[in-house]
Formats: sequence, structure tokens, C-alpha cells
Amino acid sequence: MPSVAQTVRVKVLFFGRLKDVVGQAAESLDLADASTIEQLFARYSARIPELAKYRSSVVASRNQEFASWDTRLHSGDEVAFLPPVSGG
Amino acid sequence: MAPPLHHDDIFELVREPIDPRPLIQHVRAPEDGAIVTFDGFVRNQSHNRATLYLDYEAYESMALAKMREIGAQLHEKYGIHRVAIVHRLGRLEIGETSVFIAVSAPHRAAAFDACRFAIDTLKRTVPIWKKEYFEDGAVWADGELPPAPVATRGAKPAS
Repeated sequence: MPSVAQTVRVKVLFFGRLKDVVGQAAESLDLADASTIEQLFARYSARIPELAKYRSSVVASRNQEFASWDTRLHSGDEVAFLPPVSGG
Repeated sequence: MAPPLHHDDIFELVREPIDPRPLIQHVRAPEDGAIVTFDGFVRNQSHNRATLYLDYEAYESMALAKMREIGAQLHEKYGIHRVAIVHRLGRLEIGETSVFIAVSAPHRAAAFDACRFAIDTLKRTVPIWKKEYFEDGAVWADGELPPAPVATRGAKPAS
């Protein structure tokens, strides 16, 4: 059984007020292969505690498609954290 | 799976003012009997605060994909002829059009229903956000939560 997960690089995007909270719009990040979107968000929340309060109002996407929080991430994936949309 | 039918639809994100006339002209064809349009424009107030201007941003690649999805649904559900959906990004002044939708169909009922479905769905599912600027500051507009996919438990999310 492998004890160390392989590390992969994903692209992470923040929009709207989340971009303001995080202080950047996009970042490439290394994380363990098959990490979940939930784990990725938790990593940012640990760094930026204010982010945690938005968790219940955020929807995530993986490769431009809405994705559930238990979606597992792999090399080259593009993940975005989307606050409630307000177009129109 | 059969290849998607080709529809001569328009889905665009633009940074310049939207001119509705060529969009209406584009969807209009001899086999149609009705065009319904929706013109969404910037209101001069929000929750009784005077708005100065709005600034729109989008997750552009996903927003275009979601707009195309809406178009496909209009063909499938309402049997429309053509649709044009254009959303503007960047700074918009009071009275400027932020979104314009034109739907053509052989009969008016389908055109009305499809146009209503298009704007309602756009407001719920297309990743676009607006920041409202007031005399005393700016806020991100309260938005709508897209339907969240349910947990997958090992399954691939439906696409």
C-alpha cells in the first residue's frame, strides 16, 4: 500500500466576493492526488479563516462543470469556488 | 451518442454596449411567426440605495458553456427556431443593457415560454457576478445559489 500519495497540480479560481476574501483570483496549487474539493477548500480556510463562513453559500466547479464537494481532483483539473451568481 | 444538431444560435460575453438589432435580425426567419426578447438593464437603485454603476465579472469559459446549455434546453423543451443570448461584462452605467435574449419560434407561446426560461435559468446557473457601486461604497449583489450537485459517493457526477 503506498504510504505517500502522489502530488498533482491543480488550478484554483475564486470569483466575486471570494476573490476579495482570498486576495487573488487564480492560483496553481500542489496537492495529494485524489484530494476532494472539500479538502482543497479547507486548506484555504485554514490559511484564511474568514473564508470558512462562506462555505455554505459556495458552489464548486471542476473543469467548468458544477461539482459536488466530494469530487476527487486529479492532475490538471481546474477548480473554481463560486459565490451565489448574480448575472442578468 | 448522436452529434448535437447544429443550430445557428449566438452565445456571447461582450465588453462593449449590446446592440439588440442584429441579434433580433439573426434569429428572425421566414418559417417563424414570433420573436420574444428580454432586455435586462441597469436599474438606478438597489434596496432603496441609489446605484452609481455596476461592474460585472464572469467565469467566462464556464459561463459560455452554461449559456450554450440553456440554448440546447430551449430547443429540446420548446422547439424554438433560434436563440441569441448576449451578456455584457465590465462597468455598466444606469440604463445600459446587461443581458439581451432573443428567441424565435413558429408560434408565440413557445417563444414567450422559452425566453422566460432562458433568463430565469441564466440568473440561477450562469457564473456571472455583479458588484454594485454606491456613493458610500460597493457590495457584491446578493445572488442565487446554483443547484448543488449531490454527493457522488464514488460515482462520477452527472454531466
